[in-house]
Amino acid sequence: MPHPFRANMSSSWPVLALATCLAFHAPAPARAADAAPPGGTLLYLEKQPHKNLYPPAGGFYPNGGILAQITDRLTWQNTDTLAIEPWIATGWGVNEDSTVFTFTLRPGVTFSDGTPVDAAAVALNYDTFGKGNRALHLPPSEVINNYERSEVIDPLTVRFYFSRPSPGFLQGTSVIGSGLVSPASLRRPLDEWGDARHVIGSGPFVVRDEVPGKSVDLATRPDYAWGPAQLAPQGPSRLAGVRIIVVPEDSIRIGAFIAGQADFARAVEAYDEEQITRHGDTVYAASTRGVNNSVVFRPDNPLVADPRVRLALLHATDRPDILRTLYSPHYPLARSVIAADAQGFVDHSTDLTYDPVLAARLLDEAGWTLDPDGWRRRNGVTLALAVHEALPQPQSRSMLVLLAQQWRRTGVQLTILSGSPAMTVLDNLNPAVTPLFHAEVGRADPDVIKSAFYPTNRNVLLQKGGQSRHVDHFVDPELNGLLDQVASDTDPATRLADLARVQADILAKGYSIPIFEEPQVYAGSARVHDMHFEAVGRPVFYRTWLARP
Amino acid sequence: MTRYILSRALQALLVLWGAFTLSFVLLQVMPGDAVLIKFQDPELGLSPQQISDIRASYGADESAFVQYAHVLGRTLAGQLGYSIETGVPVSRMLHAAYPTTLRLAVVSFGGAIMLAAGFATAALLVPLRPLRAALRLVPGLASGIPVFWLEIVAIQLVSFHWKLVPVVGVSGWAAAVLPGLALAIPISAPLTQVFLSAAERVMAQPFIDVLRARGASPLRILYAHVLPNALPPTLTISGLVFGEILAGAVVTETVFGLDGLGQLAQQAVANQDVAVLQAIILISVAGFVVINFTIDALHPLIDPRIRRTQAGGAA
Repeated sequence: MPHPFRANMSSSWPVLALATCLAFHAPAPARAADAAPPGGTLLYLEKQPHKNLYPPAGGFYPNGGILAQITDRLTWQNTDTLAIEPWIATGWGVNEDSTVFTFTLRPGVTFSDGTPVDAAAVALNYDTFGKGNRALHLPPSEVINNYERSEVIDPLTVRFYFSRPSPGFLQGTSVIGSGLVSPASLRRPLDEWGDARHVIGSGPFVVRDEVPGKSVDLATRPDYAWGPAQLAPQGPSRLAGVRIIVVPEDSIRIGAFIAGQADFARAVEAYDEEQITRHGDTVYAASTRGVNNSVVFRPDNPLVADPRVRLALLHATDRPDILRTLYSPHYPLARSVIAADAQGFVDHSTDLTYDPVLAARLLDEAGWTLDPDGWRRRNGVTLALAVHEALPQPQSRSMLVLLAQQWRRTGVQLTILSGSPAMTVLDNLNPAVTPLFHAEVGRADPDVIKSAFYPTNRNVLLQKGGQSRHVDHFVDPELNGLLDQVASDTDPATRLADLARVQADILAKGYSIPIFEEPQVYAGSARVHDMHFEAVGRPVFYRTWLARP
Repeated sequence: MTRYILSRALQALLVLWGAFTLSFVLLQVMPGDAVLIKFQDPELGLSPQQISDIRASYGADESAFVQYAHVLGRTLAGQLGYSIETGVPVSRMLHAAYPTTLRLAVVSFGGAIMLAAGFATAALLVPLRPLRAALRLVPGLASGIPVFWLEIVAIQLVSFHWKLVPVVGVSGWAAAVLPGLALAIPISAPLTQVFLSAAERVMAQPFIDVLRARGASPLRILYAHVLPNALPPTLTISGLVFGEILAGAVVTETVFGLDGLGQLAQQAVANQDVAVLQAIILISVAGFVVINFTIDALHPLIDPRIRRTQAGGAA
């Protein structure tokens, strides 16, 4: 089959060019590990139960932790180089303006229900992820922008058309949210995707059983022979299976791990790291390479509508002190809105200084004067802000408490809210209640910044035009225009330049206080060998093996 | 006796209906709903229109009264509905969860009875009076221990330090032993207290002195004569203790990561998963009603005086 667009490949994206070279590199030589006998079930302790395994919902780590084992994607993002490499697609071509992508599929790949992973199945997957399915309530994926339609060229060739340039699409085919699932799964309505047994992928593991909210049992698929080249040699997993058990209580999860009752655990807090390494086990801190762990403002709220107030709070924040007090060296200090190992990173350290004098001056200028009781007021109104603790973020509550103590010195009051998930969801959609939000988004592509800030995506700043009905007026067309460009500029150099402008724009307007580059921290016992993580830190157990105890 | 059973059954149904209605009203008062919590997840990126479509498909936009009628009708037909959070039929979730809680209840209640029996024996028979007085203070103290603290200590020592039993990856009765015994300690406290005060009243009675004078051993007096007389109030309390087991199960299952009804209830409250929560409330109330009914039925068998009054009443 000829590839009409292949000629243009190198002109479209340096990563693409790199991908072609890497696509043909020889599999890594077999290591001593490969001689280990297969078998053993890896016991993995999760902090939270999975919610919904519709692949575009894979951003939630417990969901992604399952999807990464049971689904394959068209492409694999190399975890060292971030290049896009072949996986289920053996090759691809992109036209000049990144509106047409053609993929050639690997023959002989099947979903675990026996149906082939062919062009028709892949087309159905992307039509669903790209446009959503209203009748089944399936929403479109946040990583696929400007999607128009698919075309099945032949059983192993599929082509996708976009209404506007979509340069992020190729990387979008590599993320957990683009996991390929059987057409039978795609016929289910959104609410049935909570049951892991309904999700049929083509990955190295299949869901054998689940107890809702409690455990998921994954069994190895013996006929699996199509793993990504970086995880060579291809073939079935060397484990007999993976048992995921949800243990929300931190002390029990980490305690059970240290006592040798489990092989792997997610969500290790910084203060537990030393306990783990002291016992000869390993702490894995996989970077999420996206938008940093940050406190962002909702300028719709009049208290933080003035950029001087936001910038004052940025300079009132002693970020190194937060890191020293609460976190470990696995948590690098944020130097911009996005992580230093993310594409398009620009170092803004000099804009993120701790400067209480400047903070006080900015607040004075904005009319918030310091009263004798130590609080700042303007026209009788106290500068009192509130933020909800964010359960998925490491030590969110302690971090916010520390922040409140630091801001108190400048005369600004910060209340940390907590409540039922329902309250949190509702409050976080209302800028009048929560002028601040604790945010983080992981994805190894420049599009991640759009995912976080764009009104119809996660909308962390709560602009008008998103889900919230409580936003009166705030919208930033300039920022949104830049975000649109990041998602659609075809020239990679221009795209990274746009990303640089977005970072500068967000920080100049004081929309965000980036705190640290958030890793996903796991504990692995000394028995666990050959552990991998995909590009944004979900565990991949495909090559893992367990030494005998 | 038939009339008695019938009236008790009617009472039980009223209690169930009341609990059902009350739980429905309380859940309506809470802000937001399960559909919102689940589908407003920013990672799903649903538009307001899509969310209101989903709400409509669940009937979440109907008036409270229509929803109530619908849920009641469905429940009366034996349909427990679907969990919005997991998308799984509630009956399947209950089926997965109840054996764990049942095992926990059996171990903790059995353990509590043994603890109470052993402790009461010691507190009544230990030779020195000041020692007996000191022992009498222990149940009060034990009932004040926070269950979660006791359990975390038990896990740290028994499982992590001495490595006697694992807490993760175990199932069946093995998983119920440590949490059940930990929960037994606070549950045994009210049993012991009630039994002790009843036993002391009995022991102050003249016939005990007669027995002593005849040379009956203290242990024999306790088990053959004091126990039957002190049992009825203890039995009544043990019915109430069932509530404590249920409450304790929420904490215990959370601490130990067990997949029982308590854990299910806790998650259902957090997610406002109405169908799940109502099913759990109905089951717990039904459990309460059945246990108290059983205890009421047992009383006449143990205490002949109650048997006589009832016979007189029925005549």
